[in-house]
Amino acid sequence: MATSQNSSGPPDLDSSSPSDQSACSRSSNRSLRVAEIERRKNEAEDPFVLALKYFSDVEAGTPVTGNDDVERNLVAVERVAYSKGLPPEAISIMLEFAMSLRMGTSPCVRVLKCLIPATVVPQEAVVRAVVWLCVGKIPLSTQVLFIKWVLTMFDMIDAKDQLHSIYGFLFSFVTEENLVCVVMILLHLRLFRVRKLLDLQSKMGRQPFLMHLLSLYKVFCPELVTLSLPSRMKAGFRNHNSQWKSALIAVQKKNSFQVTSSVSLTVRLKDKTNPRKRKHNHLEVPALSSAVNTQTNPSSSRKLVPLVQLHSFSLLLENLHHIELPAQMGSLLGSSLALQYLDCVQDESAFLRLNFWLGHALHEEFLFCSSGVSQNSEEVLQFLDRLLSSQHFLQEGFSSTEAFLYKFLNIWDGSLLRPQILGMLSNIPVVPSSCIRQLLFEPLMQLFFTSTLFFKCGLIECLNSMLLKWLTWHSVYALEDGLDISLNSHTSINMTLSGFKDSLMELVHFVGRLASVGLQIEGCHSLLLSFILDFYETVCDMFLKYGLPLVVMPPAGVFYPALFATDPVSVDRLAHIMYRYKVNLMSAKTQEKQTEQAFHISRQTYREFNHYLVVMVNCLWNSKMFQPGMGVEMEEELLVSSKVPQYWSSFDFIHHPAFLSYAVDFHHKVGHPKPWGWYLEYLYAQGFEGLKQFVQSNISRRSTAGDGQGDGLSADQR
Amino acid sequence: MSLLKPFSKLPGLNAANILLVENEEQLQQRLADALVEETAVTVNVRLAKTLPLPLKNEKSRPRIDLVVFIINLTSELSLQSAEASLKYLDPGYFLGKVCLLVTNARNASVPPARLDTVRKLAASLHCPLLCAEDQTPDGVTNAAERLLTILKVAAGLVPMTTALYLSNLTRCTVPSDIDQQGFD
Repeated sequence: MATSQNSSGPPDLDSSSPSDQSACSRSSNRSLRVAEIERRKNEAEDPFVLALKYFSDVEAGTPVTGNDDVERNLVAVERVAYSKGLPPEAISIMLEFAMSLRMGTSPCVRVLKCLIPATVVPQEAVVRAVVWLCVGKIPLSTQVLFIKWVLTMFDMIDAKDQLHSIYGFLFSFVTEENLVCVVMILLHLRLFRVRKLLDLQSKMGRQPFLMHLLSLYKVFCPELVTLSLPSRMKAGFRNHNSQWKSALIAVQKKNSFQVTSSVSLTVRLKDKTNPRKRKHNHLEVPALSSAVNTQTNPSSSRKLVPLVQLHSFSLLLENLHHIELPAQMGSLLGSSLALQYLDCVQDESAFLRLNFWLGHALHEEFLFCSSGVSQNSEEVLQFLDRLLSSQHFLQEGFSSTEAFLYKFLNIWDGSLLRPQILGMLSNIPVVPSSCIRQLLFEPLMQLFFTSTLFFKCGLIECLNSMLLKWLTWHSVYALEDGLDISLNSHTSINMTLSGFKDSLMELVHFVGRLASVGLQIEGCHSLLLSFILDFYETVCDMFLKYGLPLVVMPPAGVFYPALFATDPVSVDRLAHIMYRYKVNLMSAKTQEKQTEQAFHISRQTYREFNHYLVVMVNCLWNSKMFQPGMGVEMEEELLVSSKVPQYWSSFDFIHHPAFLSYAVDFHHKVGHPKPWGWYLEYLYAQGFEGLKQFVQSNISRRSTAGDGQGDGLSADQR
Repeated sequence: MSLLKPFSKLPGLNAANILLVENEEQLQQRLADALVEETAVTVNVRLAKTLPLPLKNEKSRPRIDLVVFIINLTSELSLQSAEASLKYLDPGYFLGKVCLLVTNARNASVPPARLDTVRKLAASLHCPLLCAEDQTPDGVTNAAERLLTILKVAAGLVPMTTALYLSNLTRCTVPSDIDQQGFD
């Protein structure tokens, strides 16, 4: 309508237009003005603007409960906040309203939660809010919330010079709760700040929260903190739940900003291999880059080579002592060279940083995700696979993964990302026996017995893999002579040999229990039995293969289903396992006598083994099934009434359901009756190595011309 | 009070009956579709919003082997409705014939206290607590498979295993607050 204005029209209402303006500009002025009036009228009726006006003008002491105005205006503000984000003036007004506690503390929390900025956060608003914080009437939880908000929005504060000068006030709020938050704010610290902390520490002694603060400083600016910190401070980061983060990401997506994260360790770079523009960047493993170290000490004379410049192993070896780690520790996950360096150097702060980033990424993606995020996307799988391969390469897990897994297991449904989760689970280091039950066994048991057969098999395999890794770890790290395995590696597990054996026993007993009941519930399913026998193949050789003086027999719930299994492979494997047990036990007995070491295999173990052996030989060889003392006992009348002829031989090498078909085969091939030896040779030729080892080690046969069936049993009995 | 009784009727042959109680009535339909796909056993699925069940169906209703309460953690009302419905179950059900299923356990907007409340409730009732991913079809299928595992035992279709035995193995435990430093 403005454009149709006739330039020769009557003078307009606004008399302030300069007289020397051409008619054209006067008309354009008028059009602008009309538009401005329109806009102001719209704004004046806009509920958001009204709400802001309300909050800036409301008087102190106005009641909240039952106050419809407050509710309506808060809803209006929240609506804008979650859709587009609040403009800077709105942030100022709302923050002032909240922190001044004009209407009490209850709206304060609600307002803080909805303070999502659209563009920037004005610095003055934050400074004024800190002033209100110092007035001292705000409850502690709200203080923590405010500081968390500042931390989350830190990157969006437009200028930080005034904030720098009030760090001292923020410092006074350092308590254990908001420890991490404050330190993250103080990332741009100067030298004197660290000195002040060190002075404080020398005055107050090694207070835990001070140590924590210093260890965090050491993480980010290691050259400033030179004192040594106990390595226990490895996982002291409470990855806080930031509901603003997800809302912020949503708002920024709408406003099509590049997503930035408040934790400066995470990525800003696009993955070079994937040209697709990504919105959720916190999962990306960043490209390896050199450290952005703006505070390098100019007097440092060492020439540091950034890790990104090393492309081959020989270069790595040459520069081993002057390597500079990148700023983004997550980038190390992609490069095997970097991982090798990390493993060799064993730098505490590097691992702290890596674990912090990793824990943060895992928590964000899996534990505190916003609804509707697709979990099986390519990105997630790629990230987890990369993490798994790094762990596989280093042959151990990261502590942040471990912490994440314990939390995740409690809310896992058993099928989400199963292979990856089970893979990560098998990499966790030895868990002390005092907490292994609660952390690991209880959630796993709940999952095991409510899940399908395939989950059961997968979990048994995972636990087998875990056992193998623990055994390997022990055989690498155990000292030659002593019983103490004190670990000084970055995994920082202090564990004595007996503590380690306890944990291992717990694990083996746990799997034994899972296996017995699992087989019962699944009707002795042969797939499950196969995975269980895999586990016991590891267990039976613990002494000889891994040097651990521990022998644990399988429970009856595993032994008997395997012995009476209908598939020959299971029986064969059981025979192999029994043979290995015998070898291990005999070797342990001789070693015990010779070297007089403090280890001791209990009588109970020998007794169990002997019992199993006798049962097995009597059943398979001597055809003395169901006799008293032979494990499975049944009443004579019951057996007779079953009308099975010669029931005592119903599970020997010929009549066993697993081998009956071979016996028939043999009979067809050979014709008239042949000596036992021939039949046994025939069985061995079918590939039953386990049976061969078992028979040869346990059964001595008098080599007479007519090889009868009644050969004696020779088993090594204590 | 019209309690739902577990043993007042005879069981069907090779059949199992499951009752899904959900206040929102969102997940139960999808779960039901996944549950009836089972071929080895005839599975009858009944859906309800709350308990007590209407009296007019009392005669025709078969014996319910397993009652599953579906709780959506993002809504407080869901939890309250489930708690109120629990009162209408005969105590015989708490010997392994009740199960709690929660959704959205990994959601950021869920206050952690709510999951703790559900966990404590499950622990006090000695019944298992299952977490389900209801956003994806795979998650729903998996939840259905897990329910079937418990259902088959509760209906007496697994030899040598009773519902009480299984509930002892799967009972929910309340983990004490594990500090990230605590497990050092």
